[in-house]
This record gives sequence, C-alpha cells and structure tokens, in this order.
Amino acid sequence: MPYDGFPPLISSQLQYLLNHSSHLIKVEQVWSGTKYFPGAFDRFTLVIPYCLDFIRWDVVYNAELPMAPPDVIFAAEDEDFHPLHADTKLLQGILCNWNFKDPTCLFNLIEELRRKYVKYQTNLVERVDDDRLKFEISTIISREGIEMHMSSGTDKPEEVKFAVPLMDMNINKMVLACPWRHQQKIYLQVVYPVGRKYLSAPSAPRLKLMSSAELKALFPVDEIKLPSWVDGMCLAEYLPHLEELLQKQVLEAVSLIDVRRHFIEALAPLFGRPLEADPVFCRKATFLANSGPFTFLVHVSISTQFPKQPPSLMLQSTQHVNPRDMPVKSAIMNEYPWSPRWEVMLMAEKIHEFLFDECLNFKRYCNESQQQ
Amino acid sequence: MAAMRDLPLQKVAISGPTLASMLQRFSSSVGDVDGLLFGHVTHLAPTLTDDAPHTSNSDPSSSSDSPELVATITSFICPNSVLSFYDAFGLVDTPSLQRLLVAHPGRHRQHLLGWFSARRRTSNRPSMREFSVTRCLSSISELSLPVENAESPVNLAPCVFLLFATPVQEQLIHTHEYRAYQFRDSTECFDSKSVDIVNIGPAFRGHYGSFSPNSPFPMLSCDLRSSSAMNEDRSEEISLVELKKVANDQKELDMCAEGYGVANLNRLIGHEATSYTAGLEDLYEKMLVKIQSLAREVESGNAKVHQLESHNRKLRYKVGKGGVE
Repeated sequence: MPYDGFPPLISSQLQYLLNHSSHLIKVEQVWSGTKYFPGAFDRFTLVIPYCLDFIRWDVVYNAELPMAPPDVIFAAEDEDFHPLHADTKLLQGILCNWNFKDPTCLFNLIEELRRKYVKYQTNLVERVDDDRLKFEISTIISREGIEMHMSSGTDKPEEVKFAVPLMDMNINKMVLACPWRHQQKIYLQVVYPVGRKYLSAPSAPRLKLMSSAELKALFPVDEIKLPSWVDGMCLAEYLPHLEELLQKQVLEAVSLIDVRRHFIEALAPLFGRPLEADPVFCRKATFLANSGPFTFLVHVSISTQFPKQPPSLMLQSTQHVNPRDMPVKSAIMNEYPWSPRWEVMLMAEKIHEFLFDECLNFKRYCNESQQQ
Repeated sequence: MAAMRDLPLQKVAISGPTLASMLQRFSSSVGDVDGLLFGHVTHLAPTLTDDAPHTSNSDPSSSSDSPELVATITSFICPNSVLSFYDAFGLVDTPSLQRLLVAHPGRHRQHLLGWFSARRRTSNRPSMREFSVTRCLSSISELSLPVENAESPVNLAPCVFLLFATPVQEQLIHTHEYRAYQFRDSTECFDSKSVDIVNIGPAFRGHYGSFSPNSPFPMLSCDLRSSSAMNEDRSEEISLVELKKVANDQKELDMCAEGYGVANLNRLIGHEATSYTAGLEDLYEKMLVKIQSLAREVESGNAKVHQLESHNRKLRYKVGKGGVE
C-alpha cells in the first residue's frame, strides 16, 4: 500500500483521497523530508488524470508538524498557475480551517485545486488568438465535463487539446455486477494546432477515441473506426453523428457479454465446470481436461469480436515444466474449423473435437521438451 | 513618503558568510524552515558617458531605461520552523511579522527585503503557498524600503524571495540549490534573478565603496581634555555626571570588547597616539575575547534549544499518533 510509512495523520488523509476521488489519482513517489525520521514519509507526488493525460503535483507535508496543512508544488510548465487568490474563499477555508483529525481535508484540497486548474487551462485556451478555435470552443464549452489543455513549449508547436466526454449514457449501469469503482466514459480527444490566422480550408484536427483500460475489457475503443472529418466541418457537426454511432456499438458490446456467457456455459458439459471464468465480461475461461493419464489446462480467451472471431485457445500441461520451472504451454491457436453462424453448442463441440486431436500433439511436444 | 514602484532588480547580492550561515541553518534544522531577509536596495551609478542621453525619468519598466537596482542581503532571521509569519493560505499575519521585526535589532541601513523558504528534498520551484506569501508581503506598502543612491526618492516593496531546496533524490554529495526571485506586481509573477555572492578579493573591490558595517562601533564621546590643572577645580562637581557617562560608555563598549577600559580609547587619538598600534591590537584582542565568550554562550544556548526541540518533537509525535484514534 502506498500509504505505509507515513505518519498516521498524513496516512489517513492520503488514504481517503485515493479511495474517494472521482478521478483515478495515483501516488507515484513517496519520500521523507525530515532529518530525524528518514523513514517517516511526508511528501509525495500525486499523478492526477487531466484532459486524458496526467498532471503531477508534489504534495509537501511536514512530518515535524503533521497537524499543519501541506503545500503543493505544481509542474514546471504550470508556473503561472497560482490558485491562492483573495477570491478563492473555498480554498482559504480548507487551508485555514485545516483539521488534522479530519481525513477528508486533503481530498477537499486536491479536488478544489483540480477545479481551479480546469478553470486556469480553460482561460489559457480561451485567450488563444485563433478564430477557428474560438468558434469551436463556443459550440462545445457547454458540454458537462469537458476539459482542455494548452500545450506549448520552445521545441514543439502550440497545440490545444480537448477531452470531450461522449454520450450521456451510464455504461456502469448497463453491466451486470459492474466491478468498476469509477464512472466509465468514452472521450474524444481533439487536438488543434494553433494557427493564429484564419485559413480558408483549415486542416482537420487530430482525433482519437479514449477510455479507461477497464472499459476496454468490454468495448475496445482503439478498434472503432472514426467517421471521416469532412473539410470545413466543425465539432458541433461531427459530434452528434459520432455519438449516435458509438451508442449503437456500446449497446451491441453489452449484448455480446451474454453471447459469450452462453458460449462458456456450452463448453461446460463437454469439459466439465470451468476452473476459472471471468463472470462479468466473460472474456476468459479455464478448463481442466485429460487424455488418458495426461491432464492439462485449456485456456479459452474470447475477444470482443466474438462470435465473428473464434476464441483463442492455449493448452498448459499440469505435468511438464520447462527448464525454468514454468509449466509447458502450447502456442495460441486461432486456426480451427469455425463459423460465426453456428449455434453455441455446435461451436463448443467443434472446439472439443479439435482439441481431442490437438492434445496428442501437445503431449508429444511436452515429452520432447522434457527430454531435452 | 516616496512612491512605491514596481522596479526591476538587476540582481540579488549576498555576502558569502551570510549565504553560508543561511545554508548552515537550513541543513542543521530538523525540517523545513523559513524566515525574513534584511538588507538594502542600491541604485548603481550608471557608467554613463557624457553624450549618453539622460533618460532615467522615463518609463521605469522598460529595461533599457530602468535604473540598475541591486538588492543586497546582509542579514536574516530564521525562527526555525515554517508558517512563522503567514498562514496556510499564504496571507501575511501582521502581528507575527511585527513580532519578528521587533525581535530583529533594526540596524543602520537594514530594511526588510523579503523572505526565504528552505525545504528539504523538494523541487526548486516556488510552491503554491510561497507565491501567495510573496505577493502578500509585496503588497504591504508600509514595509516598502527606500532605494539608496536613487536620483529621485523611490521606494521598493519587500519583493525578494530566496528559495533553498535539496534534490528530491538523495545524493552522496550534499547539494543545496538556491534561487532568487523578485515578485513583480505589474505582471503578478516571479522574475528569476541572478544571485551575486560577494566575497573578499580583488574582484569585489567595487563593493568596498558602498560598504557599510552592519554592527558599527558605538558612538562614544572621547574626552579629549587632558586632566590639566585648569580643570582640577571643576572636576569635583562634575565627577558624578562624568562617572555615570563613563559607566554608560563602558557598558556600550562591553558589547564589542571584553574588558577594554573606555579610558584606553583616549590613547588611540591625540598626542598619545604614538602607542597607536599596541593600543589597537589590544582592542582587537579584547574584541576577539568577546566573540569567543559569545560563541560559548551560543553553544550552550544551542544545546538547551536542541534539548527542548527534541522534547517537543517527541510530544508532537505522540499527538500525531493519538490523532487518528
């Protein structure tokens, strides 16, 4: 756990922040600034998701004074971000009425600072002197949860990045026994180069769909083909079309969970109850099988493209180990008789038949590798 | 009162011993520390040629015409903790600041220049709170200090911020990074300034011209009158007043030298100055003795402070442990 080694007061606040933040905040590095308790951590780097990227803030407590509120050092590129202003009464309240016994204090501070950071970046982007950008912002600024980021450096061209949350649908609710702690969203990342001059045919922005790694177990956004961007188009025209398309695909992806579940259930009468199976997304199952005295595991992994794509199979011996003491495994097998139009029972039977022959090859392979 | 203006500093100068003493305070402290910086701001006489146009009264913010100002840090106070004169939001707490200022013996040419923050194992960038403190300190017009040698009277805010940090990754070699900043009111941002370390040596001869001692020798009225027969009659009546004065002078001299009689000062001037060298050497020797006895006092005082601090730390640690139950 990242909060081991902290003085208890700091630890409870950090723990609360990590468990309750609506953003998936992580601790990258922890260390101590004290002379006499080098083991007592009192400073750490928070990695905070922002605009489909991360910002890194150093939180500096003082182990000598664990009752005092911490200070924050922002990233070098955010040197103009100064959130402590006379008009930030909320922050003033958090910092000046710091109650070291209240574990929510750090959480409140970081959440409020992040809100200030969203405003700060929005201000930066709005000040960019680019007519097209100004127009695009005016059409999408009202979207809830939109975030933007101005990136500029001496060695790279100025760019404005938007993270546009798509579709007003609660994906978490659509998944039975949903394991996700955070609300899942699909975002469109839009990157505009800053032109500063109005061009008659402005180039298309760079577009990319993004989601959390968790959501990819259900819906791999990387595999979605984005609708093409027509010259002269603006985001307000592009987004509704994209959202409609995605909505259909997400619904389909959710319905495919049941198809996979039925398939795993169909394997059970032939192979026996699975040793292990992914109960939520039904992407994986492992069975124990045998051919005479030779027992082996069958790993079945099912892609989101199932039943268009056959499941990948891999065999693992329970009796043979390689020289590094790892169980001997077969190569991944995708090439076997398959038709997406078959009933799931037939699919299961075909796999069973295929493995009936294949396990003999695997047994020979195991014995050969043992003799070497 | 002269107008307070947002003039750019050319650089921040600090004497080697002052910087070394700050670094020593930082590295010997138990945790992060902060404190106040004192010194003066001087307008460097421009090395003008006669035909150069005299334009110093035009826009002071443009760099080419602005006067060359140097902030010289001559001393500091460090209350050995953080949040010593400001709150967690970075607002200056005026009563605490006044208390610190009163505790610091205000000496000739010493004004509040700004403040410093020294933190262990952190990035050497100003933090959220440090920015806020500097902005708040710069905005207090009563604290503005006069620019010396200025062509027209002008005041500058206590806008200097000195940041000390040690690298986040511990290294075998102790490294102390320091950076100086000036808070600019017009742009609401920090300007990084170069730090000029003033040492003794030919390269720093220019500084001797503008040198002024931080602890000047006390003003003592040396009685030049020789105890001639002419004054003998009056000596009786004024002796009481005289004695009191001598006692006062002696007290003041005792602050600088240990066991050096005020009467001996007479030997340094007038016709008795032939024994000048021996008398002066004697004075210096007594001064060294004074410094030595002060050092001993400081040492024993430090030991007591250290004892108290470790006691306090244990108490704090107890509170910290009990706090989450």
